[in-house]
Parts: sequence; C-alpha cells; structure tokens
Amino acid sequence: VFNQALVRRRSSVSPHSTDMTFRTERRVPRLGVMLVGWGGNNGTTVTAAVLANKLGLTWTTKTGEKKANYYGSLLQASTVCLGSGLHGEVNVLLRDLLPMVHPNDIVFDGWDISSMDLGRAMERAQVLDWSLQEQLRPHMCHIKPRPSIYIPDFIAANQESRADNVLTGSMSQQVEQIKADIRDFRQSSCVDKVIVLWTANTERFCDIIPGVNDTAENLLASIQAGVEEVSPSTLFAVASIQEGCAYINGSPQNTFVPGAVELAVQQGVFIGGDDLKSGQTKIKSVLVDFLISTGIKPTSIVSYNHLGNNDGKNLMAPQQFRSKEISKSNVLDDMVRSNPVLYQPGEKPDHCVVIKYVPFVGDSKRAMDEYTSEIMMGGLNTLVLHNTCEDSLLASPILLDLVILTELCQRITVRPEGDEDFQSFHSVLALLAFLCKAPLVPPGSPVVNAFFSQRACIENIMRACLGLPPQNHMLLEHKLQRNFTSPQSSTTSDVCSLKKVPLMNGSHVPLTNGQYGPLDDAAHAI
Amino acid sequence: MSVNIHINSPNVSYSDANIEAKYTYQTTSVITDGNQVIVSPHSTDMTFRTERRVPRLGVMLVGWGGNNGTTVTAAVLANKLGLTWTTKTGEKKANYYGSLLQASTVCLGSGLHGEVNVLLRDLLPMVHPNDIVFDGWDISSMDLGRAMERAQVLDWSLQEQLRPHMCHIKPRPSIYIPDFIAANQESRADNVLTGSMSQQVEQIKADIRDFRQSSCVDKVIVLWTANTERFCDIIPGVNDTAENLLASIQAGVEEVSPSTLFAVASIQEGCAYINGSPQNTFVPGAVELAVQQGVFIGGDDLKSGQTKIKSVLVDFLISTGIKPTSIVSYNHLGNNDGKNLMAPQQFRSKEISKSNVLDDMVRSNPVLYQPGEKPDHCVVIKYVPFVGDSKRAMDEYTSEIMMGGLNTLVLHNTCEDSLLASPILLDLVILTELCQRITVRPEGDEDFQSFHSVLALLAFLCKAPLVPPGSPVVNAFFSQRACIENIMRACLGLPPQNHMLLEHKLQRNFTSPQSSTTSDVCSLKKVPLMNGSHVPLTNVFISHRCL
Repeated sequence: VFNQALVRRRSSVSPHSTDMTFRTERRVPRLGVMLVGWGGNNGTTVTAAVLANKLGLTWTTKTGEKKANYYGSLLQASTVCLGSGLHGEVNVLLRDLLPMVHPNDIVFDGWDISSMDLGRAMERAQVLDWSLQEQLRPHMCHIKPRPSIYIPDFIAANQESRADNVLTGSMSQQVEQIKADIRDFRQSSCVDKVIVLWTANTERFCDIIPGVNDTAENLLASIQAGVEEVSPSTLFAVASIQEGCAYINGSPQNTFVPGAVELAVQQGVFIGGDDLKSGQTKIKSVLVDFLISTGIKPTSIVSYNHLGNNDGKNLMAPQQFRSKEISKSNVLDDMVRSNPVLYQPGEKPDHCVVIKYVPFVGDSKRAMDEYTSEIMMGGLNTLVLHNTCEDSLLASPILLDLVILTELCQRITVRPEGDEDFQSFHSVLALLAFLCKAPLVPPGSPVVNAFFSQRACIENIMRACLGLPPQNHMLLEHKLQRNFTSPQSSTTSDVCSLKKVPLMNGSHVPLTNGQYGPLDDAAHAI
Repeated sequence: MSVNIHINSPNVSYSDANIEAKYTYQTTSVITDGNQVIVSPHSTDMTFRTERRVPRLGVMLVGWGGNNGTTVTAAVLANKLGLTWTTKTGEKKANYYGSLLQASTVCLGSGLHGEVNVLLRDLLPMVHPNDIVFDGWDISSMDLGRAMERAQVLDWSLQEQLRPHMCHIKPRPSIYIPDFIAANQESRADNVLTGSMSQQVEQIKADIRDFRQSSCVDKVIVLWTANTERFCDIIPGVNDTAENLLASIQAGVEEVSPSTLFAVASIQEGCAYINGSPQNTFVPGAVELAVQQGVFIGGDDLKSGQTKIKSVLVDFLISTGIKPTSIVSYNHLGNNDGKNLMAPQQFRSKEISKSNVLDDMVRSNPVLYQPGEKPDHCVVIKYVPFVGDSKRAMDEYTSEIMMGGLNTLVLHNTCEDSLLASPILLDLVILTELCQRITVRPEGDEDFQSFHSVLALLAFLCKAPLVPPGSPVVNAFFSQRACIENIMRACLGLPPQNHMLLEHKLQRNFTSPQSSTTSDVCSLKKVPLMNGSHVPLTNVFISHRCL
C-alpha cells in the first residue's frame, strides 16, 4: 500500500492509499560496466578496488595490515533496521534486502583519451597505497582503455597533452564506433547487461539550441550532420541509449540535453545523474538539512576547495568550472523552499563556491566551508568545516552503488491496482538522487537534495519490493504504558509489566485551581 | 502565518473535545537463524485521541536566574510584545528560530502548486510559547533584569527594552547542597532554603501550588536548567525504590541530590519534570515514583550544540558506510555552566552524558564495527571567561573510507549556548504538554492509555535520552526527528512520511486526477521494457542463478 496525502486548500489534507504490486526479478545478471574516462583517478581506483576485493588482498602500511573493503558504499557497507528480533533490533546490509549484483562480479571496460595502461594510470593517480599497487600492477598493466571521443572545445585546453588515444572520423562514425565497442564488450566478456558511466573530464555546458538538441529527432540529425554544439558526453549517451544500455553521468555537465532525455524515454532506457555526490556537497546536504529541520536559518554558506588531481586541473578553465558551480549551487534549493517561516519567497542564503588547483595535494581534496546561521533573537551560529576528502576513494564506492542500483531498478516493475500490466520506473531514474550532486528527475517532479530524505527514499522503495511498510522510526511498542505487540516480540516485557496507572499527568489532576483559560484559546489552536 | 489543518478522511473524526484518528501501526519482527533472516510484518490497528483544549501552561524553571532561564524568559517576553531592536547590522525582530515546533516544517503532501510544508506547531493543537507563564527558583537572589545583564546573551538595546519588565521578578529560594555542585558556586548562593530535607521538599511543593493558584494556570511543568550536579551513587536501600527514596528524604540521607528532590516534589504535585542537565536525577526510585504516579519525566541534558551536530554527522557517516574511528571534541566556554564544570565531579557528569551519543549508530552497523568495537572518543571542556556564553566547540572526526583511506573532518562551531538552548527548552515543555493530551487505544483494548511515564519522545531534544526500561536508546538525529513527526502524523491518521515520491518515479501516473500537476510525466509515452536485460539476450551466458 502506497500512502500519500493530497493537500487541497491550506486547511484540508486528504490521505490516499494506492494498492500496488512490486515485482522484482530474482535472477541477478552478469553485469558489465563501461567507464568513460577509465584511465582517470576514479576509473583506475574503482577497477583496482574491485580487483583487490575479489582477490581478497591485504597489504601492509606503517599503521599495520589493511584489507580490501567497500567502506563508503551505501549498498555494501551501510545497514537498515529490519525490525526487532529476540535480541533487540536487527540491522542488515542494504545489499541483502534484494537480489543484486555484487561489485566483485562486475566486469569493467571503458574508454579514455589517454592511452596509458591501467597499471601506470593507477600509479599516476597516486590514490592507493604503494604496497597495494605493487600487488595489483600485474593484473592491470595489460589493460588499455579503448580510444575515446575528444572534442577540444568541451574540456580545458590543458587536457590536450593527455589526448593520445582518440577516435577520428565524422561525429556519426565516432558514435557508431562507440556502439560497436559496447557490442564487442558485451560479446567478448559474456555479460548479460552493460551500463555506461561517464567519469571523465567535466565538460562545459552545452547551449540548448532549438533545432539542434531540443528533440530526439533533431539531436540525431545534428549528430549525422556533425553540428558543433553536441558534446562528447551526449554522444556517449546517445550511443548507449541506442544500444539499450543505461547511461549515468558522473560529472556536472548537461549531457542530458532535452533531445537526449527524449531519446531515453522513447527507447525505455534508464538515464541518471548528474555528478557524484561524494565530498563537500554531500556534507552540505546533510548540514543544511539538519539546520533547517531544527528551525535554524543558514544565511551564508561559503565553500573553498583545492585539489591537485586532473579534475582540478581541468576545472581551472572558467567554462568547466562554471559547470561545476551550477551543479553545486542548487543543493540548497529544496530545503530552503521547504521552510517558508525562515525564508520568504525568493529569499536564499548567500552561497559562494571557489575551486582552486593545487597540484601538491593531489587526490586528497580539501574542502573548507563556513556556514553562518541566524538563531534565536538575532544570534549567530558559525560552523567552520575543514574536510580532507580523498576524492577518488569517496567517489569509487558511490560509482559502484550507482551502477548496482540502476541494474536493480531494471529488474523492478510495479503494477498499480486496476492497471493491466506492470510498468518500469521512469526512464529518468530519480532514485539515484542520493548519490548525485544535481539529481536528474522526470519533468514535473520535485528535486530532493535533503540527504536523509533521499536515503529514506531508497530504503523505503527497497522495503516496498519486499512488502514491508516504510520505516516509521516510531518505536511505539516501547513508548506506551502497556505492550500491544504479538507475544513473539516480548523482549520488552519489563515495559509491559509496569503497573498501569490512572492518567494524571498535569491536566488530569483535579483542577481545584480551575480558572480554565478562555475556550477560544483552544479554538484558535485547532 | 498560522494555518488550520483539517484531515479529510473517514478515519479521522473531530469532536469539540477531541481529534480521534484510526491508525494502522506497522512493525516487523525478525528471526535470525544463521544466514537466514525471516521477517514478519505486523499491523496493529489503534486509535489516537488528542484532546483539543489547549490549557494555560505554567513552567517553573530550576535555575531561573541562569543564562538559559533569563534568556528563555526574555525571549518569550520579547516575542509576546513583538519587540524589535536595532544593532549595527540593522533592525532585528523577536523570533523563535531554532525551535523544532515553532520554526521547522514537515511536508504534509502535494497540493496544486507542489509540496505543502507546514510548521510542526500547526499539526496539532498545542501551547504557543507566547502564552507560557514562567516562574522558578534560583540559589542566587539576583532579579531577572540584572541576571539577564549578567548573562551577556542578548543585545544591549533589547535588554534595555526588557529590563522594566524583568527587574521586579525574583526567583524563589532554591535547594542548595554544596556537595553536589562545584565549590565555586558558593558565592552565588544567597537565596537558599533552610530546614530539613523533607521541609525543603514541602516548600517546593508549596511553591508549585502557590504558582498554580496565583497565576491561574491549568498545568505546571517543572524543568531543571540549573547547575550540573555530580552523579549520585545508586545505593540499595537509599534511592533504588520509590519507597526507599521517600524514606531517605524523610531521614535526610546524604546521597539525595537537589535535582532529585525537585523531581520528587514535582511528581508528588502531579507535574511533569524534565531534566535539562546531565546528572542522574532520575535514580531508580525517582523513575518508579513517576510511574506509580503516572507523571511524565524526561531528559537528560539539552541537546543544543556540539552533541547535536555529532548525532547528525555520525548518523550521516555510518549511514553512508563510512567508519568513524576517532572523534575528539574540545570545548571552551565562559558562562557559569563552564565555571561549574571546572570541578572534576561535575565534568564527569557532562562527560557521561556526551559519551553515549555514538552507541546506537555504532551498534547498528556490524559490518563497520565488530561486536564491542567503538571509535576512540574524547571530550575536553575548558572554562575561558572571555568567550562568555559564546561557546566554542572544536571537533575532529577521522573516518576510515575505502581501501584504507582516511577522511578527516575538522569542525569549529561557535555555539551561542543559551540562544541555542532556549528554543529547545520551549520545545521540551510544549511537547510534554501535548503528550499529556494524547492517548492511544490499541485494537482490542478497552480503554485508552497514555504514553509511558518515561517520555522517550523527547529524545530528539536531549543529549542522553531517558527511555523506558528495555527500550532501545536512539541518538541518531534524523530517526529521532522522524519519530516525532510520524507520531504527530499518527494523531491525525496520516501515514508515516515515506519520502518515496512514487507518483513521480513511475512511467505512468496512478494518482487521482486532483494531483495532475505532474501531467507531463504521465503523458509520456509508455514504452516497452528494454532497459539492459530486456534486450534480447543473444549472448546469454547465465553465470549465476541467484534465486
């Protein structure tokens, strides 16, 4: 039963229930993931991490032996409370709720404009401990990314020196090559499904030009004609969609121009994005959610970042930085809008984002934030945060969550009562919002950035697939005077054995000092 | 901008006296057997009844002349009078920012123009803070006008406007047992009760009755916002049962703290008692007394600054699969709380109250933490007079991320102690009063029952939540908030907030025509399912049959 409430006028709330059937296909397919930007820091780190987990590697550092793990993955390392058992609450990993792909079983492939093999690329990334790299190198040095699409205008000029592995030919020939690559990978690796994920350079934003990229038809025609305003990432998206493969945008640019979205809807292929929510923005969506949900009013949020990886180098260029800035800027909107007491219509906190390239810090990104908030009676609360982010180690598990969750969604269908057939989720897979900085949602759907709402959404939809009610956090069985639950869950017996007493909290004391307040006191509050 | 909410549902009925809502409460029970986990969903039908008449509420503060006491009194007065005052950055207006009930919202559902958010205070009939009548006790005789000045919390131009209203208010004499608070508090103690322990308790009870009579309030709630006391020893025969505790008070036994005496007096007068400080006021005998008398008790310690953020950040980290391994918190503050906490025994109370905030979150994730494993956790508090009420909290969170990597979060928080605590204090008493008007009847029961005397619903507002015996302690910030929100929704027959937005996630619309703002979603052409696996599997190689 899916419950919702409709609010008609200010005053009238009508609860509605819709009965529906969730169907989850139990067969977990063999999943192939193709990364655009495979040789980058995220690409090499995620490939190496999966390999190390699969091989059960351990390595020694000065602080002792380390073991491969998937910390930071929502699905692999975080839990949900299933209910209460004999020994208290039972928490299970999200990955155990429904049949889903294990990251160890993912087969990777991909493209990169740099021809460097993954072994050397892992070394260039400077992310993983050296003693781990030494063990992984023999497995990775023979892997070379496929040649990729390079249109210099879309990324920073400083990327040119890396671009030694690029496709040539007309725009449509390059798209055909990408499609051939997908088919080749699917065939040669014997995977059942392929998902394509962009974790390459941030591109500049595309202009949305009527006749060029505003409809699926125009977009396909523009590709045929080789029109300028079609970005490499949009070309990859089109190729994936045409091959029936879900496409996820892990960078901030507007890959999903209206024509690309329309194409995905037409083809019934999932698309999701934009931009991995890994570090500063993730914490921002937590802290602002927290502040506003306790009635505190953030009035100024200033974020400074510096990083020294290739992402930082590319973002030195103003147009690419602009993409990132847009992606980071809207994270406050839904939370601000949700509280009309703190914010007048149109009012927003000051919000400023700076990103600097500092080679020395490498992949160890620093994020410094200042949150100034108005508290009661004109007071100010100032939060200053310094966050050492380890960019690719935070991003890699999110990247895995994205593809595994997308694959799971491909096996879930829903039939609302009264409908004849089951339907899939909308092609724009809004469920991925938790993992994305600037969530892509279907037209007309509210964008939710608030961290804990996003997580509850994933958890409750997975529970729905199992016929379990949403997590209500109420623990009523522990809050009343007497027990009302079935005998099985009788761990709380000392609660229920407490003597029942007449109600005399406060107002139930005989009111000898009467003087009831005027009755309209009560009326105005109702 | 108050709104009236009416629930349009056959399950909800409004009478002059009550709102009655039929509600289905859903739980799951779990049996684990090795790798097998068997989950059985259960539903219990119940009726929530909320009395609609909002009483006139009196609040008595222990430590009325302290920073929290004067700030909350002044803030309510300024709001009631609609005061504005000028500072160098412009005109300021009295408000209740930082109050869960008065300044934060919940999403009620979707209307014609998107989602509709309302203030929590508008969900159910409840006391408005402006209507609260204050009274209280303090070991310092200073009038509230001068005490407000001593606190150095509010802007001077606001103080000038408030002083005429506050300077004639003097706290009632309080109970002072030097052994329980720091020796440095002695110089303030010029307004204390004398006589035997039981005489002092009788005086407190007489004070409560006097206030109730003279101020014409319907209900009184007592809240401790005075000095942090040292922890009491739990001694069999002294404070382990209600009977023993009452006998100890009669005999004037040493190991009964002033805060426990206040709690006993309140409970015996039928007044809910809330402990806004960390000490263990609620010794087993005091809890038993409250249960016997059917009076609400709640606590401990206001969750206002550093611990609140800690319960947010740790909830966040662990719920994304990141493993906090070391959490170090340094605080310095210059108000009287800081001065009192210089004494080791009082600091110890605070340390205990702050230390358990991680436990439930750590326990919830057996992948990150082996049984018994905990992050390093260290709390330091220093008294630095200059910073006054503007408390500084510096935290370092070091967490293990993927493949041995580390994530380091360093936080510097300028907390404005009393301005953050005051709205929480108001939320505590208003929520407690509301709970006194809510009763629940599970299907099959004959009569309605009240919440358990130990009011666990207040957990969101407390550092070390007091819960009924056998009940899990929840510190995780967003679970706590969802609990309050969903119980208030239940009183209106509304289902828990599910955050799913399914009506926006499927290919076609399934909701009633009224909510047709999403028409461009539902008008999208329905397409055959061909995401990934629905492509004809020409290259089939089914490697695992994971059924």
